[in-house]
Amino acid sequence: MLRLTLCAACLAACLSTVVLADSQWRAPEEVLQALIDDNESAYLTQSEQNIMMMPDNAALWVAEEGAALFSEPRGPNNVSLETCDLGKGPGVVDGAYVELPRFFADTGRVMDLETRLAHCMTTIQGFSADDPEVKTRHGSDSDMMKLQTFIAYRSSGLPWNPPLEHPLEQAMRDAGEALFFRRAGTSDFSCSTCHGQSGKRIRASVLPSVNEPHEWSKAISWPAYRVGQQEVRSSNHRIRGCYWQMRQPQSISGSDAAIALMSFWTDAARGQPAILPDKKR
Amino acid sequence: MSVDRMMIRYPTLVAAATAALLALPAATAAPPSPQAAYTAMSPEELADYLIFEAGGFDLEAGTQTGGTARERMVQDRTQKVCSAIARAGAQLDRATAAKISALADASIVLPEDGLKLGDWQRGEAVARSGFGYRIGHNPDDHDSQPPGGNCYACHQLDPNETAYGTVGPSLTGYGRLRGTSEPMLKHTYQILYNAHLFFPCTTMPRFGHHGTLTPEQMADVMAYLLDPESPVNQDLPQTVEADAAAQD
Ligand code: HEC
Ligand code: HEC
Repeated sequence: MLRLTLCAACLAACLSTVVLADSQWRAPEEVLQALIDDNESAYLTQSEQNIMMMPDNAALWVAEEGAALFSEPRGPNNVSLETCDLGKGPGVVDGAYVELPRFFADTGRVMDLETRLAHCMTTIQGFSADDPEVKTRHGSDSDMMKLQTFIAYRSSGLPWNPPLEHPLEQAMRDAGEALFFRRAGTSDFSCSTCHGQSGKRIRASVLPSVNEPHEWSKAISWPAYRVGQQEVRSSNHRIRGCYWQMRQPQSISGSDAAIALMSFWTDAARGQPAILPDKKR
Repeated sequence: MSVDRMMIRYPTLVAAATAALLALPAATAAPPSPQAAYTAMSPEELADYLIFEAGGFDLEAGTQTGGTARERMVQDRTQKVCSAIARAGAQLDRATAAKISALADASIVLPEDGLKLGDWQRGEAVARSGFGYRIGHNPDDHDSQPPGGNCYACHQLDPNETAYGTVGPSLTGYGRLRGTSEPMLKHTYQILYNAHLFFPCTTMPRFGHHGTLTPEQMADVMAYLLDPESPVNQDLPQTVEADAAAQD
């Protein structure tokens, strides 16, 4: 049987040609190993198999496809995304993801990666919001997941550092915290029911705690290849899944509620290195 | 915050949000941009605004009980108070605890024909099943199977079951330690109905209060917990080890 062995460092060479020499970029498997070495955590170590297979993460191929898509002239305007401002200036990809969500003056909104990408694809490339390139948000084959995975990959190893200087950034983060603790529905669940204490399990799943930044950093490291689903998944997909478990309504990608929740959860991992892309159960 | 209060304080924002909501596509949304008003709201007010007025969730979807998903997001007093305390990281003060407990007491309806242990085998199925009441992209069809109580998500019960959660305490040997006296049946039924009576602001779901378990299902689960025949109460050598495991 032909087995594809991927070397994250080799991929790094082709994906990160503009990574600066003094960059804090590190391969995702190294970031995870360092977190495991420095912390006692049943959550971080729960899947030996996944840890071993990190360098072979299928999400790395998806990142590579995303790199090609990013620089390819596309859409009705036949231009690439190389002028897209992800928050650190037009075309700057390195380190952009760990500083999202953030306020963008050109839209007057706090935006997450997915929303910002959709914005660039519609305003720069001329896609309409209903084109499959923009509208299809789930699955390793979608443009959205390829682009997200590439952009996130270029923040691997960097500390989560979402800005909170703008009053809207702070308001969204605080509303996200309220959402995180907000009990509702037929089971009285809030996110904190399951992610508010350290070292707990739901059935056999070890839960990450929002109060343990080294665990929470891995928890929010999306895109990740989900072994059980054999797809690369996004933050928005995880949020949808947890609200489903909570017996609450379907969360809408790109809504300010979803962005607020991400503003809070990224702030909760502040300072810890991102594992991008990750591999999860 | 009520919609009426929103209208008074942020009339243009609400109008813009309503217009945007009318044009809301199924899976993605571009809410209106005047976020400036967000900074005038408290975090809880803004969270409610984002849920109910800014297209955060698919609120119009149906539910298993014939209502809409919107109702699932409306908080009752217990949910509201307990959420605020958890967010503040505050200790529950005595007065608030007494209020939450009194609300629970008022909610509990004991079976008219008295409390009886049901069938522990049926109770085991209820305790194991995490099915039911999920909505959104993959709604549970209650005609295909009955909703369960999902007790194993949070509790250890049968000492031979290794896939148990630890959000709640281990209930292994629950009946062995407590017996099946009338007061014990009542106590257990009350916990299943609305555990806030004894544990104000607990994370345990209020199965009777929400009607997510029927009185018959609760009687069956009680049997699973208390019946001397139930696996929960078998004195197995594994118990000590499993108990120890549940402690860490
Ligand atoms: C009923 C329990 C429960 C609730 C409530 C819950 N989650 Fe989860 N969550 C889980 C489980 C179980 C996992 C999978 C963990 C694993 O596989 O180890 C998970 C995974 C996650 C992860 C990714 C970690 C990983 O390794 O997969 C994040 C982030 C997360 N949840 C956030 C949230 C947020 C935000 C909310 C509220 C909207 C929430 N959760 C509500 C049970 C819950
Ligand atoms: C979301 C997690 C969760 C679920 C699901 C859950 N419980 Fe609990 N339960 C708890 C917690 C937490 C406590 C501890 C009470 C406290 O201090 O908050 C508890 C307490 C109890 C107690 C009292 C234990 C004592 O020491 O007196 C019983 C009995 C109980 N649960 C039974 C059940 C049964 C039966 C089910 C399923 C129908 C169930 N629980 C489902 C979380 C849960």
